[in-house]
Amino acid sequence: MQEHTDILRFIINGREIYTQAPHDMMLSDFLRDQLFLTGTKKGCGKGECGACTVIVNGDAVNSCMILLGKVNGAIIETIEGLEKDGKLHPLQESFVQKGAVQCGFCTPGMIMSAKALLDRNDNPSKEEIREALGGNICRCTGYVKIEQAVEAAVEEIRKNAGKETKDE
Amino acid sequence: MNNNIGNGISRQDAYEKVRGVAGYTHDVVLPGMLHSCVLRSPYAHAKVVSIDTTAAEALPGVYAVGTYKNTSSRLFNASGVMAFLAPDLNPVLDQVIFTDCPRYIGDEIAGIAAETEEIAQHALRLIKVKYKKLPTVFDPLEALESNAPLLHPHISSCNTPGGVYTVNQGDVATGFQECDVVFEGKYKLPIQKQAQLETQAAVADFRRSGELIVYSSTQSTHPTRIILAHIFDMDQSKVRVLNPKYVGGAFGVRIGMSGKAEAIAAALSKLAGRPVQTVYSREEDFMASDSRHSGYVSVKLGAKKDGTFHALDIHAVLNTGAYTTYGIEVGIVLGNLATSVYRMPHIHYDGRVVYTNILTAGAFRGFGNPQGTFALEAAVDGIAKMLHKDPLELRLQNIVCDGDVWPLAYPCRASGLGECLSKAAKGIDWKQHGKFDAVGRFRRGIGISSGTHLCGTASSACAVLRLEFDGSLQIATGTSDIGTGNMTAFQQIAADLVGIPLERTYVMWSDTDNTPYDIGAHSSRCLYSIGLALEDASHKMKEKILDYAAEMLEESPKQLRVEQGVIRGGNREITVTELADHAHRREIQFVTRGFPRNNGFTATWHAVAADVEIDTYTGVVNVLKIVAAHDIGKAINPVSVEGQIEGGIVQGLGYALREEMTIQADGRPYNTSYHTYMLPTIGDIPEMEIQLVECPDPSGPLGAKGTGESGMVSTAAAIAAAVEDAIGVRPQEIPMTPERILKILKD
Ligand code: FES
Ligand code: FES
Repeated sequence: MQEHTDILRFIINGREIYTQAPHDMMLSDFLRDQLFLTGTKKGCGKGECGACTVIVNGDAVNSCMILLGKVNGAIIETIEGLEKDGKLHPLQESFVQKGAVQCGFCTPGMIMSAKALLDRNDNPSKEEIREALGGNICRCTGYVKIEQAVEAAVEEIRKNAGKETKDE
Repeated sequence: MNNNIGNGISRQDAYEKVRGVAGYTHDVVLPGMLHSCVLRSPYAHAKVVSIDTTAAEALPGVYAVGTYKNTSSRLFNASGVMAFLAPDLNPVLDQVIFTDCPRYIGDEIAGIAAETEEIAQHALRLIKVKYKKLPTVFDPLEALESNAPLLHPHISSCNTPGGVYTVNQGDVATGFQECDVVFEGKYKLPIQKQAQLETQAAVADFRRSGELIVYSSTQSTHPTRIILAHIFDMDQSKVRVLNPKYVGGAFGVRIGMSGKAEAIAAALSKLAGRPVQTVYSREEDFMASDSRHSGYVSVKLGAKKDGTFHALDIHAVLNTGAYTTYGIEVGIVLGNLATSVYRMPHIHYDGRVVYTNILTAGAFRGFGNPQGTFALEAAVDGIAKMLHKDPLELRLQNIVCDGDVWPLAYPCRASGLGECLSKAAKGIDWKQHGKFDAVGRFRRGIGISSGTHLCGTASSACAVLRLEFDGSLQIATGTSDIGTGNMTAFQQIAADLVGIPLERTYVMWSDTDNTPYDIGAHSSRCLYSIGLALEDASHKMKEKILDYAAEMLEESPKQLRVEQGVIRGGNREITVTELADHAHRREIQFVTRGFPRNNGFTATWHAVAADVEIDTYTGVVNVLKIVAAHDIGKAINPVSVEGQIEGGIVQGLGYALREEMTIQADGRPYNTSYHTYMLPTIGDIPEMEIQLVECPDPSGPLGAKGTGESGMVSTAAAIAAAVEDAIGVRPQEIPMTPERILKILKD
């Protein structure tokens, strides 16, 4: 294992984190084993299932394929950071409401992939949703309710955005 | 009273899962916990001549090296059969933790526990093993030949643990003579892998005090405890197995142990004196934990001119791989279910499961039934073709009805199969069948399949309810929830039947220390079996509450009602909270224990219809639509039921079109990653329509039965039927890959 003493810095879920963890550690292992942010799952460790998806500087990435040293300074969002002031993110809420969660092991990755999409495109088409979630495997749900949940969240987010503009 | 039962209320566990705070075995960390890895055999059949672990043991950071020499050599069966075969049947014990006689590529030779996974991996490379290669056999038909190498000579002299299982009714020889038409077909089925998202995992803490605590991804904690106590020769009461609390999918792959993760972790923990975590890599999960049985099923079906089925003969040879686990039972279920869909005076089935030098096959959603259904439904369409009959009409004419005689031990109590067929046909627009143009590059076709599955066993289920001091209700059952939503359904049942709000119920997640014995989450049994126990426990709890309230309110219990946590009678009322407080302060507690009122199985029914389009240039089968109609008795939570069926359909879609583990010349599976094993992704999903048929089953809780597996059963058969409608030929082999379709088109 490479030894690195220089300190790495991240913003993870809005909090500044400094670490001496090795630069060649995978981001997924750092999140899970060092920060105990175990909501990020590992289904393969090889970039093939999407269970470890987190958002790095706005992009959904497989954190099991990201070397810590390569993302020094990054702004990172994980599933644990989505709930704000005790209120679930619309995606989290709609995954619950639509029955899109079964075993739940793919769920955090699915939600993070969907969030990265919605953050940059508030009105995605069915094809865009399918493309954004194309790298996330779910073996339980058959994806039907996951797709419905993302569509419902889009609607909810747009409705809220509409409300905010009216309030202004 | 019923404001929860029948409603698609949100899954209670989903709130934790979407927030990323749900705990799985992969996430368990104990103080002082070591990490482990396993040395696996590179040969499909061999004898370990010598094994030298000195260099591995000497590596700093290594705490234990386990081999066949220093760990338990007690034979076991890693599956749930250790706990629940019928009393007169003995489970086949043919596995050990670490072997000196590997029988497939991936068999466990040694394990290392070390401070980090890297150190463990390093140490693994320092183990020196000399093997003597032995002759191998990979195909079950070859393994039945008299000169085939024997895998377990002490168990079977012809590689067939369990021998031959038969089903007989009437006399098939005479039966076929009396038929006007007879169809015969032979079908080849692939190895399908569960590929659940959380790989096999366990964390074991073998305490010096002699207790063993195991966090596990099993779908059956109590049976796993029985297996571990057997392996380590200790009292079951000193072994605690628990889910922590979630399981990342299972589909049958961990009824009993999670591969061997629990035994490996426990053996290493015992040697190391520290807790040990064993987590299979995805590759290990593919190569070294049970798959679906591949093999051959042949069917002979005879009918009278008017379409009445008269004789059925099915013959199955299934590849069970290197060890038995759930082999024998899969052969039994295949035969029982394939002979119980259509009314038939003459029936014969014989099935055998055969040892070969490949990964072990065991339980996987559907449990033999998808294989049998695929073959049987091809024969039904074959007869339709021979008699120029409409396949739907032919099915409606021949399906079993309530009270029909069939070879099964449990009666046909209720069946909505006819309604399922009609609904599926309507949803797919059946009148187009046989009417699509057979010209041009793209060919459309539609097909239908009928099916059944079993749910149960209801025996070995128990539910314990405890009304707490504050009036909340704790529900304890010994089963797991592997993602199917049974725990929420339990809350719905208990809340409504006792009469308290759902938010005031809490379910214990499976833990052998504080839940009653149960055989676990499988066989589509949770809702049915434990539901029955819960129904009983809830009625008893309500009675206790009302009896106590009657004294407090000076009313007869018969005059009282309890709803939403409030007890009313005459013009007085008290809350369950007040009552519980009152009772507890007088040293009175309310605990009830419920059991199922029957101890067998019941049948579920379904029909699946598929609409496909085939690109005759590329051979790609594009499924446009699937309609599935399922008779589930009563939907306690319709959203969960739909989810189970949708998930099953998509696994069936993969089975039909893409999923297959292929075995290379040396016995090594080619597909040991998500990259090489082609699972359906969100882009592959056709339009799906789920129809629920509610034909209450008198043996089930509130008329309900389980539907965990039924979605999987008929999907491939329905797609194959649609392919036949499109191109005129029934594929004899799945998955129906582009290469196979092109080959059919060429021939
Ligand atoms: S764990 Fe990272 S993609 Fe599977
Ligand atoms: S919910 Fe289990 S893998 Fe998606």
